[in-house]
Amino acid sequence: MDDEDIEKVLFAYLKKKGFWQTERALQDEQIKLSSGSQAGTALSRSERGPALYNDGYSKLRSWAYSSLDLYKHELLRVLYPVFIHCFMDLVANGHMQDARTFFQTFREDHELLYLRDLQKLEGILSPSHLEEMELARSLRQSKVNIKLCEYSYNLLLQYLQKTQSFTMLEVINEHINFEVTSGQPVSISDDSEVMALVGSSRDIAKHVNQKEVRWGLLEDFEERLEKTLSDSEKAEGENKDNDVDDNKQKRSAEAGKQGISSKKLKKDKVVGAIGKGVRSETSTVSFAPRVKPELTLPIMPTEVEQSILDDLRNRVQVSSTALPSVNFYTFVNTHNGLNCTSISYDGSLVAGGFSDSSLKVWDMSKAGQLVKTASMQGDSESAQNDHLLGSDDGNRSYTLFQGHSGPVYSSSFCPTGEFLLSSSSDSTIRLWSTRLNANLVCYKGHNYPVWDIQFGPFGHYFVSASHDRTARIWSMDRIQPLRIMAGHLSDVDCVQWHANCNYIATGSSDKTVRLWDVQTGECVRIFIGHRSMVLSLAMSPDGRYMASGDEDGTIMMWDLSTGRCVSPLLGHSSCVWTLAFSCEGTVLASGSADRTVKLWDVTSSNKTTKMDENKGSSGNRLRLLKAFPTKSTPVYSLQFSRRNLLFAAGALSKSC
Amino acid sequence: MSIVPKETIEVIAQSIGMTNISSDVALTLAPDVEYRLREIMQEAIKCMRHSKRTVLTADDVDSALSLRNVEPLYGFATGDPLRFKRAVGHKDLFYIDDKDIDFKDVIEAPLPKTPLDTTVVSHWLAIEGVQPAIPENAPIDVISAPQENKKLEHGKDDGLPVDIRLPVKHVLSRELQLYFDKITELITNKSEPVLFKEALASLSSDSGIHPLVPYFSYFIADEVARSLSDLPLLFALMRVAQSLLRNPHIHIEPYLHQLMPSMITCIVAKRLGNRLADNHWELRDFSANLVASVCKRYGHVYHNLQSRLTKTLLHAFLDPSKALTQHYGAIRGLSALGPSVVRLLVLPNLETYLQLLEPEMLLEKQKNEMKRKEAWHVFGALMCAAGTCLYDRLKMFPRLLSLPSQSIWKHKGKIATTLPNSKRKSPPSNNHCPQQPSLKKLVDASIPITQVASNMQPTTADGFSSIASVDPAMRPSTSSGGLSNENIPGGNRRETSNSRAPKTHSVLAQAWKQDLDAGSLLASLFELFGEGIFLFIQPVEMNVFL
Repeated sequence: MDDEDIEKVLFAYLKKKGFWQTERALQDEQIKLSSGSQAGTALSRSERGPALYNDGYSKLRSWAYSSLDLYKHELLRVLYPVFIHCFMDLVANGHMQDARTFFQTFREDHELLYLRDLQKLEGILSPSHLEEMELARSLRQSKVNIKLCEYSYNLLLQYLQKTQSFTMLEVINEHINFEVTSGQPVSISDDSEVMALVGSSRDIAKHVNQKEVRWGLLEDFEERLEKTLSDSEKAEGENKDNDVDDNKQKRSAEAGKQGISSKKLKKDKVVGAIGKGVRSETSTVSFAPRVKPELTLPIMPTEVEQSILDDLRNRVQVSSTALPSVNFYTFVNTHNGLNCTSISYDGSLVAGGFSDSSLKVWDMSKAGQLVKTASMQGDSESAQNDHLLGSDDGNRSYTLFQGHSGPVYSSSFCPTGEFLLSSSSDSTIRLWSTRLNANLVCYKGHNYPVWDIQFGPFGHYFVSASHDRTARIWSMDRIQPLRIMAGHLSDVDCVQWHANCNYIATGSSDKTVRLWDVQTGECVRIFIGHRSMVLSLAMSPDGRYMASGDEDGTIMMWDLSTGRCVSPLLGHSSCVWTLAFSCEGTVLASGSADRTVKLWDVTSSNKTTKMDENKGSSGNRLRLLKAFPTKSTPVYSLQFSRRNLLFAAGALSKSC
Repeated sequence: MSIVPKETIEVIAQSIGMTNISSDVALTLAPDVEYRLREIMQEAIKCMRHSKRTVLTADDVDSALSLRNVEPLYGFATGDPLRFKRAVGHKDLFYIDDKDIDFKDVIEAPLPKTPLDTTVVSHWLAIEGVQPAIPENAPIDVISAPQENKKLEHGKDDGLPVDIRLPVKHVLSRELQLYFDKITELITNKSEPVLFKEALASLSSDSGIHPLVPYFSYFIADEVARSLSDLPLLFALMRVAQSLLRNPHIHIEPYLHQLMPSMITCIVAKRLGNRLADNHWELRDFSANLVASVCKRYGHVYHNLQSRLTKTLLHAFLDPSKALTQHYGAIRGLSALGPSVVRLLVLPNLETYLQLLEPEMLLEKQKNEMKRKEAWHVFGALMCAAGTCLYDRLKMFPRLLSLPSQSIWKHKGKIATTLPNSKRKSPPSNNHCPQQPSLKKLVDASIPITQVASNMQPTTADGFSSIASVDPAMRPSTSSGGLSNENIPGGNRRETSNSRAPKTHSVLAQAWKQDLDAGSLLASLFELFGEGIFLFIQPVEMNVFL
């Protein structure tokens, strides 16, 4: 039944009964009501103007700032989403001038935490921009989740009702999801989680992060390695039964896998043998469970395997007490043109990608010899040296690879050093042979500049990241990509293979890091927490942790299985260009635009987290072990050799 | 409101030939232009990051434009960051300083040097976690670790006499050898002062030259011993020593024993330089200060360093058979070590020494012009030493100064005004008053101060009376100052000083005692030096007046 029907019936009833006065009163009231509602809507429309937003927000702000200390930080968190949505509402309603003044008035409050977002939002100048800018669009489409304790939630509601600030209420209802938890307010230290107000809504991340990640090491390869090693050094490492038992318990608790303890025992012995007595907390590798490779991996030639084993035997133990040696390759006379460097696994080859589209490779082992022979034997030999170099004009110390038609942004050596990949702004990837000094393949698939490229841990497969917001997996023998990983909301800036080849991680300008399953091409983890573009990634050799470095100099350690940040590493003052784990995973090295190489102790944190996991606290900090300042060379890339020698490279830049 | 005002749009429109653009259009266009600009900048920053740079260049903007399929901007391509200049009269208006280049100049200019090709050099940033001190690495703040090691080693050596080490073969890298050769060449041929200055700067700041320290110290010792007659070379060597001592990254202590003798030689050698015109005084002063700085820095490590040094210097000072130049050096050396050394070692011998010196300075007794000049130099140095010492004393008793010094000011002013007359005639007339000429010299040197002083003359009357009442020892000074015009008080003062001689001597001998009245010290010094000594109490004086 309609309202009108009811009215008709009502009036008919009143007429029939002869309630004249009642009927008149009702009619009067009805007229008043209708006109009143019209006036009301008119009023509200005019009121919905900028002043309402401005007043409402400033009141809410002063209320939040003067609220109880215990709940203040929770309530303050609400301000930022309200602020940006007020601003965007004002823009959407066409009040450009007022939106601007509103933004400028309250901008300062949030600059500390959200400076980069604010800089972007500042550019919104007309309603159409809201549609166009991806950040604004995603912000408006999604809701922000904010955790509040029950009492703060009630406080907020009471305030909004008491002061009748419906505009604020509307904004809050529209854009914020409150997760009300009973009990005490969340401590300030957890703010970092809430802070990342990324476009992608948290629900998705949460949902995605439910999936299982099998972060263990590869069964096959590792097993073979450890068998060979344990055979060769059976004599050593008899004792330490207690340790082994301990480890076994821990491991079985984590891995939940059966029937590997015997293998495990062997492995522990091996570690003890390698460690040459220094077998303190360095056996993290042994905790890793085993998984099967999902890709068909290339078969490793025996001589390569042999050399790897050789390296393993000669490996220097690196830990918080025994720091690695660092060999620095400085590029001089680059004339500001060096975009990227990469170092082969044994440190003998160094490649540099330049903005003049060229790629140059230096053989450092040969370079040293050449200098020596030249200086010792004089001019008579120089002709021969030129011949040896095999380049067109003799006195060049490097091999020049030309083929790209745009700045080269990234390069990567395959584990054997036989092949070299380069990616360029011309949206292609090229494969070069360092033996033949020639271009072998040109992979075309991306539509925009390819920012990063990386060979898989076993070669053959490689992954690329591009401005077109995708990461792609390729194999050397196909010119089409095997998988396309799409999902990032902005450029994919860096990629990193997982140690077991089953996953890749990508870091993006949308300030998130994602983990993708190589086989299915699905996103299995979203790591939210960075406050600026992610520039570098590294995976721990045991496959459990990942480190990511951003534009501000923050490095974050992530636990892949939980998808949580273990702890942020603060210390760099500028872009973290590169990260590398030592071979045991005990030390993390970071290179930055602030011209330092820093070493971080990773074991302590891992240990504590293992203990703390039960308690659920995550307040521990990783320790800075040492900082090595260079004279004036930003550090572009770092590479731990298999023998745990750290190679670093960078271009000497004039101090400015 | 926004970065791009509508006026800008209008101006741009006009510049491309659209004169009749309506303000509405401009108003609508402005925000969109700004948005596009921001978009381009965002992309450009991405390109910059991926080129691993922290400074945005025109190339980045070009790449960003090409990402958006926009034609790049031509004419801005440079490898360096653009240099913006501020427009005169505007606070926030900048422009690129773009100079007109004449084609003729370009064509006629010689071919530019080919830029050096990119190369890769390798070095150790760290060895097992420790940064080696090599030139490639950034200077390390303090070398603490090596010192500890050395101490440990020393301890070992003492404990185990059996542990005899084979001589270690010291390998110098080729670069260091070149560096050493270049520096020594610069020192010895002195033809390029600019380059030499650079070399000194490098020596005083480079962290990587530690391996060269023994070579340098040997070189300095050797060259000083060999070429005492070459004053510029000696000077250069002392400067090198100074730079090495200044370098915070090198560990020079073990080589001090080699450096010290050569530096002391440069202070107290009988002859430095082979020409009369050589200004060896300056070298002596320089080396004296250098040695004093060494004492200050390493005195706590080597306890006998200073005592040995002072012994050497005192020996030179007190030996009448030594040349005056040597005396001069010794005095400078001692006074550089600080006022307390002067008080302890120089003042007690001052009077006796001056008696010896006096005949040397007089025209009648010392006919050799050279010798007399030297004597005056020595006298100046002595007075300077005594004066600084006095100044130091007086600093501790500002109260004491307040009255007497007022008067001193005044008659100093008078001296300044009267001296020009007496300058000519004083040497012959003041036979027994050797102080006057030097006094004049010093006063002349401090003309600005005397000008200040002359402004204060109105207070003269008070000063006179107060001094008379407070300090009898001051009286001669006031009278002589006031009447120096006529040179009458000369004999008069001589008498006083003679009569006071025993007392003066005892005062000076006791000068090192802390509790000695600075006033009486001042008095006795005045006996010996005349008014010249008052120059040293001026700074305090100023404080009093302010």
